[in-house]
Amino acid sequence: MIDFIQNTLDGLTAGASYALLGVGFTLIFGVLRRANLSYGPAIMFGAYLATWASFSFKGLLLLAAIAVAGTVLAGVYVERLCFAPHRRGPAAAAMVASFAIWMQLEEFATLLLPRHLYAFPALYEGGPLNFGPFFVRVESLLILLAAVATCIAGWGILYATRFGIAVRAVIDDPRAAELSGINVGAVSLRVFAAASAIGGLTGFLIVASHEQVTPMLGMWSTLKGMLAMMLGGLGSLPGAIAGGLALGLIEAHSQWYLGPQFRDFIAYLLLFALLAARPRWMNTRSAY
Amino acid sequence: MLRVHDLVTAYGKIEALKGVSLEVAQGSITCLLGPNGAGKTTLMMTIAGVLKPKSGSIRFSESEISALPAHAIVSRGIALVPENRLVFPTMTVLENLHAGAYQRRNGFAEDIERLFVRFPRLKERSEQLAGTLSGGEQQMLAVARALMSRPKLLLMDEPSLGLAPLIVEEIFAIIAELHRDGTTIFLVEQNAHMALKVAHRFYLMEQGRVTFSGDPGSLAEDEVIRRAYLGSSKN
Repeated sequence: MIDFIQNTLDGLTAGASYALLGVGFTLIFGVLRRANLSYGPAIMFGAYLATWASFSFKGLLLLAAIAVAGTVLAGVYVERLCFAPHRRGPAAAAMVASFAIWMQLEEFATLLLPRHLYAFPALYEGGPLNFGPFFVRVESLLILLAAVATCIAGWGILYATRFGIAVRAVIDDPRAAELSGINVGAVSLRVFAAASAIGGLTGFLIVASHEQVTPMLGMWSTLKGMLAMMLGGLGSLPGAIAGGLALGLIEAHSQWYLGPQFRDFIAYLLLFALLAARPRWMNTRSAY
Repeated sequence: MLRVHDLVTAYGKIEALKGVSLEVAQGSITCLLGPNGAGKTTLMMTIAGVLKPKSGSIRFSESEISALPAHAIVSRGIALVPENRLVFPTMTVLENLHAGAYQRRNGFAEDIERLFVRFPRLKERSEQLAGTLSGGEQQMLAVARALMSRPKLLLMDEPSLGLAPLIVEEIFAIIAELHRDGTTIFLVEQNAHMALKVAHRFYLMEQGRVTFSGDPGSLAEDEVIRRAYLGSSKN
């Protein structure tokens, strides 16, 4: 029972970062109706810039800002190159283009820092917190806190501001949004930038809590974010959060009961099953 | 007020508008009739800036607008109530109205109050999600949303489509009312009988071309209806 609870705690804290990635993915999917495969690689690009900067200074806040700025820069680059020209075109064209940019960003990062693995300054130097027999890492709590804060802020913007109304209008019906005088291209770009900022912050929190960075961060972020979004029903923000947490729980428990090699196996199996079955709650029309 | 000249709009290689010319005079209700597939919706979408014309010109209050994006055309003073209404289904009635006022930073609270007097049912349902409204209520909402941008010219694409006769009467009463208050209206209709009752001028469109224009009295109504539904046999 103690194991089960400890696994659940671990799963929820890992799930918090998946939830953040899922929220970023969902925002982009919501306004564009396009999957952005380059979301993760843009996050990796930001994390690599921050790693590169960390050779010169160690200030965590500054490194976080660099990671966010780098990811937003890469994200906007992806939007202008892959999504702005294909807004009315076939979805596959934009998706394949974003895959090409994935390769480009990965190449750039490995040119900047050619070794496979680099150390990253630690988010927190002390040990985990003890609650009776249970352990919780402070880093995980910080990520959980960031996830909750991001969701509250995002919800506030979407439901209580003029810009939020425009975003939801674009998600509901881009053509009607245009006819209402909303500049759909400008709104999409801003949402893309905001989703990239969330991704950049998440990427920073992940590499700083693992204290290392590899080029695999790109694919890892895209897969986890996409899975969280799909588990949450495609296009629902609360759904993406629930999906991320569920993914964390599934991974933690399958790792404990089936062995570490099954952790990702189960996750990919789930992705495959979802794509193959496309259950009814995976509704592409549902909005926030 | 609105002057369309030799307008061509194509979907790929297929021309839906093959050189359309027409005019909407300030302060008038102008009506566009024609069978399905004549290009009426394409014309509306092109004027509103959603579709880009291949050639030809659209002048509004003496300035060329055919190259402008849709949101810029809204700020010039043209609003389109699209076919099938296209309300924002997951947003409340009130939020739909706010979206319609997107380009106006302030001063639209009074407009909402005034619209609620004109559309009392929208006031009752102001916190309800637009997707849960009936067809007639959604049509009212689409009209109200378009009015939130304070248009000088209101384009309406088949506002009576799929609505019960009583609601259609109501919609046309609103059109007459808006016109009395000074809005110029350009209306696409399948319901030729109702349209001819309110229109000052009408155009017939068939297969991407304007084939007739005149006052409601200038062509016998049964002839108009025959051509509006079936197209003329001369083609």
